[in-house]
Amino acid sequence: MRTALILLLMLALASVAGSLVPQWPNSPERVVRFQLDHPLVGAFYGRAGLFDVFGSWWFVLITTLLFVSLVACLFPRTRALVRALRQRPVQAREIDSFRLYEERVVPADPARVIDGSRRVLRRRMFRVARDDDGRPALAAEKGALREVGSLLFHWAFLLIVVGVIYGKGTGFTGRAVVVEGKTWIDAQANYDGQLRTGRFFNGDFTGAGIHLRGFEDTYRRSGQPMDFVSHVDLLDAQGNVVKQTDIRVNDPASIDGIEFFQYGFGWAPVVEVRRGGEVISSEPITFVQDTAPEGVPQLAMPWHGILKLPFLDPEAGLTLELWPDSRAWLQLRTTGESVAMTGEFQPIMFFKVFRGDLTDTSPLSLDTSVMRQAGRGVVGAGQTVDLRTGEALAEGASSKGLTISFPELRQYSVLQVSRDRGVPMVLLAAILVLLGLLPALYTSRRKVWVRAEPNENGTVLKVGGFALQRKPQFDEEFSKLVDAMARAAGEVPAVEEKERVSSR
Amino acid sequence: MTDLQWGRVSNDAFNVALFSYVAAMVGYFAYLAFRRTSFWAIARTVASVGLFANVVCVVTRGFAAHRVPWGNMYEYSVLLALLVVAGYLLIVEGYYKIHTLGGFALMFSVFTMAIAVSFLYVGPGPLVPALNSYWIKIHVVAAISGSSLFALGGGVLTILFLVQDRRERRQVATLRAQEPPPIMGGSVDVDAPPDFAPDADEPTAGDVVRRGVLPTAATLDRMAYRVIAFAFPVWTFAVIAGAIWAQRAWGRYWGWDPKETWSFVTWVIYAGYLHARSTSGWKGRPAAVIALVGFVSLLITYYAVNLWIVGLHSYKGF
Ligand code: HEM
Repeated sequence: MRTALILLLMLALASVAGSLVPQWPNSPERVVRFQLDHPLVGAFYGRAGLFDVFGSWWFVLITTLLFVSLVACLFPRTRALVRALRQRPVQAREIDSFRLYEERVVPADPARVIDGSRRVLRRRMFRVARDDDGRPALAAEKGALREVGSLLFHWAFLLIVVGVIYGKGTGFTGRAVVVEGKTWIDAQANYDGQLRTGRFFNGDFTGAGIHLRGFEDTYRRSGQPMDFVSHVDLLDAQGNVVKQTDIRVNDPASIDGIEFFQYGFGWAPVVEVRRGGEVISSEPITFVQDTAPEGVPQLAMPWHGILKLPFLDPEAGLTLELWPDSRAWLQLRTTGESVAMTGEFQPIMFFKVFRGDLTDTSPLSLDTSVMRQAGRGVVGAGQTVDLRTGEALAEGASSKGLTISFPELRQYSVLQVSRDRGVPMVLLAAILVLLGLLPALYTSRRKVWVRAEPNENGTVLKVGGFALQRKPQFDEEFSKLVDAMARAAGEVPAVEEKERVSSR
Repeated sequence: MTDLQWGRVSNDAFNVALFSYVAAMVGYFAYLAFRRTSFWAIARTVASVGLFANVVCVVTRGFAAHRVPWGNMYEYSVLLALLVVAGYLLIVEGYYKIHTLGGFALMFSVFTMAIAVSFLYVGPGPLVPALNSYWIKIHVVAAISGSSLFALGGGVLTILFLVQDRRERRQVATLRAQEPPPIMGGSVDVDAPPDFAPDADEPTAGDVVRRGVLPTAATLDRMAYRVIAFAFPVWTFAVIAGAIWAQRAWGRYWGWDPKETWSFVTWVIYAGYLHARSTSGWKGRPAAVIALVGFVSLLITYYAVNLWIVGLHSYKGF
C-alpha cells in the first residue's frame, strides 16, 4: 500500500518533469532549440531521458513496479473481501457498551420480536445472522459495497494500465499526406518516416486505403478558422470503396481498425514543365510553410515546394514559392503588412531554376551547393513562363525551351492515422473506475446487534450499533431502525409517539 | 438583440457581479469581526445578487457568441467564480449552516474574476474547430465543477483549518500553562462528530478554546474532507471526458500534453489525500498539507499550463 502510493507519487513527479522539459514526441523542434541554447544541460537531459520522459526506461520501470505492487496488495484484499462476504455477521458479546444503544419494552414474546427485527433489517438490505446457539439475538451488517467499490476501482485502475500498454504497444500512429484526387494506402513506405510504432508492433499494416475527393477549409471574416473537412472514400485492402464519408476536426473516420483524424492541410499545385511544348513533368507537389514569426498569422506565410527533373541533362531542380492569394504578396510588398491567405485568389508562384547534379534525394529539400542558378521568374495561374528567361509566353504560343505553368491548384490534407486496439478496454476500465469510486467514497459500513430479553411486561428489545464511516448520518438512521423494530414487534405507535415526546 | 448588445450585457453583468462580490466579501468579513447578524444578512443578499449577475454574465456571453460560454480562459474563470460562490452558498451555508466562511470563498472568486478581466479578456467569438465538440462541453463543465470544489475544499477550507488549528493549539497551550492538562485523546475517524456541537454561530458560554467565530478546526477539517471527497469523482470524470475528447480530436486519448499531465498530477495528489485519511487515519495538519499541495497543483493545471507552458491545450488555434 505504502509502496504503491510512493510509486504513484514518483510517477507524478516524473510527469511534472515531462511537462517542464520539452518532449521529443510532442515538439521535436523545441527539443532541438533547447539543445542549441543549452548544450551542456541538453546533453545531460538527453542522457537522462528527460526529452522523452514517458518513453524512458525509468518511467517504464516505475510503472511496472507500481503494477506489481498494486497486484500484490489487491489479491489479499480481494480474497479477504470474498471471505468476509461468505461469512455470517458475528454476534457481539456486550451490546450496551456501544455509543448507539437503545432499549424498548414491547408487548410480544422474544421469538416474535427477533423475527420482526430480522424482517426490518432485511428489508433495509442488511445481511442478518441469527445466534448459532438459538438465543434470541441477531447480528447484522451492511455496506460491503464500500469495499467492493474500492476493489473495483483499484482493479479497474490496473485494467487501464493494461489497456494502455496493450493498445500503445501493438499500435502505431503516423501521418498520411493525401493530395486531392489521390489515394493513400496504409503501408510502411507511405508514412514518409512520420511513423511511431509501439514496442510490440509487428508490422501488420492493413493495406486499407483512403481516397481524398476534396478538401475544404473555411474561415470567418475575422480570419479565424471555422471548419476543415476532408471528403474521402475509404477503401478496403482489395481496393473496393467501403464507405464515403467526411473527416473533420473532432470527427474521425475508421476502417479495418485504423482511424483517420484531420490534422492539417496545405497547397499542392500541379506543376507542369514542358520541353518544346511537350509535357515532361506534371505532378501535384505538396508545398509547406515556414513557421510564422511572432505576430504574423500562419496563413500569411508563403508556401514552399521543390520540383526535381533528374531526367534532364544536366539535371535540374526548381525551388518554388507559392502565394495562393496574390493580394497578400502585393500588400506585403507595398505596406509591409502580413495578411492571412484563407483562400485562392489569382495565385502566383515564384521559381528559381538550378542546373547540375541532384545530390539530395529528399522530395522536400534541394541541395544547390553543386548546382548553378539557371533562371528565375514568376508564373501566374493560367500563364506559361520560360524557365530560363522568365518571360511569359503569349497565349497559344509555344517555346522550344523549357516552360513552366501550374494549370491546377489543388489542396492536400494531412491525416493522422492511428491504430490503438486498447481503446475499448481503457474506456471500459475508466467507466469501472468511476463506478467503483462512488460506493468506495460515499457508502458506509454499519453493524447492528439485536437482543430480546423477556421481562414482566413482555420483552425488552435491546439494539446496539455502530458505523465505520459517516457516523452522524448513522445516528439518525439508527433511531429510525429501532423505531421500526419496535413497531414490528407490536409496539403501539401512539404510545411510541407519546414516549418520544416525553423523552425529549 | 444583436450579438454586440448581448456582449455588452454580459460585460455589464460581469462588472455588477465583481462589484457585488467585493461588497459581499467586505460584508462577510465585517460579520466575522463584529458578529452582527444584520451584516451577514446584507452580505448574503449582496452575494446572491452578484451570483445572479454572474449567471446573467455567463448566459448572455453564450448568446453573444452562439455557443456554450466556456471556450477560453476568460470564460472558464467567470464560470469558476460562479461555481465557487454557488457552491459556498449551497453547500456551506445551505447544508452545513455555517455563515462565517463567505468572505474567504468570495475572495477566491474576486481574485479569479479580477485576473480574468485584467489578463485574460477576449471578446465573445466562435470557437476554433478543435474546441467545437460535444465532449468539450461535458469535459469543461466537469473540470470547472471539480476545480471549484477542490478550490473550496483543498484551498479555502484547508487554509482556514490551518489558521484555526494554529489558534486552538495556542489557546490550549495557554490553558495548559494555567491548569492541569485536560484528558486528551480519541479515536481516529474522519467522520466522527466533534465532541461539541459544530454550531458555529452560537458560541456557548465558557467555551474558552473556541472564542473565535470560525467553526472549530475539527469541523473545518471534516468539511474539507467531505468537499474533496465530493470533488474527486467529479475530477476523475472530467479527466476521462477529456481523454474521450482527445481521442476524437487528436487520435489519442492520452498524450502527456502538459494539461493532461498536470490534471493527472492533481488527481494523484488528491488520491493520496483520500488514502492518507481513510487508510492511514491521517487527519488534521498532515492531511491538510497534502490538500494544499493538491491545490497548488490545481492552480498550475489551471493557470500556468494555459498561459506559460506550450501544448495542444493552449488554445492557440488548430
Ligand atoms: C497497492 C496499492 C493500493 C492499496 C493497498 C490501496 C488500498 C486502499 C484502501 C485500503 C482503501 C480504502 C478503502 C475504503 O476506505 O473502503 C483505498 C481507497 C482508495 N484508493 Fe487505494 N490502494 C492502492 C493503490 C491505489 C492507487 C494506485 C490509487 C489511484 C490511483 C488508489 C486510489 C484510491 C482511492 C481513490 C480510494 C478511495 C479513497 C477512500 O475510500 O477514501 N489506490 N485504497
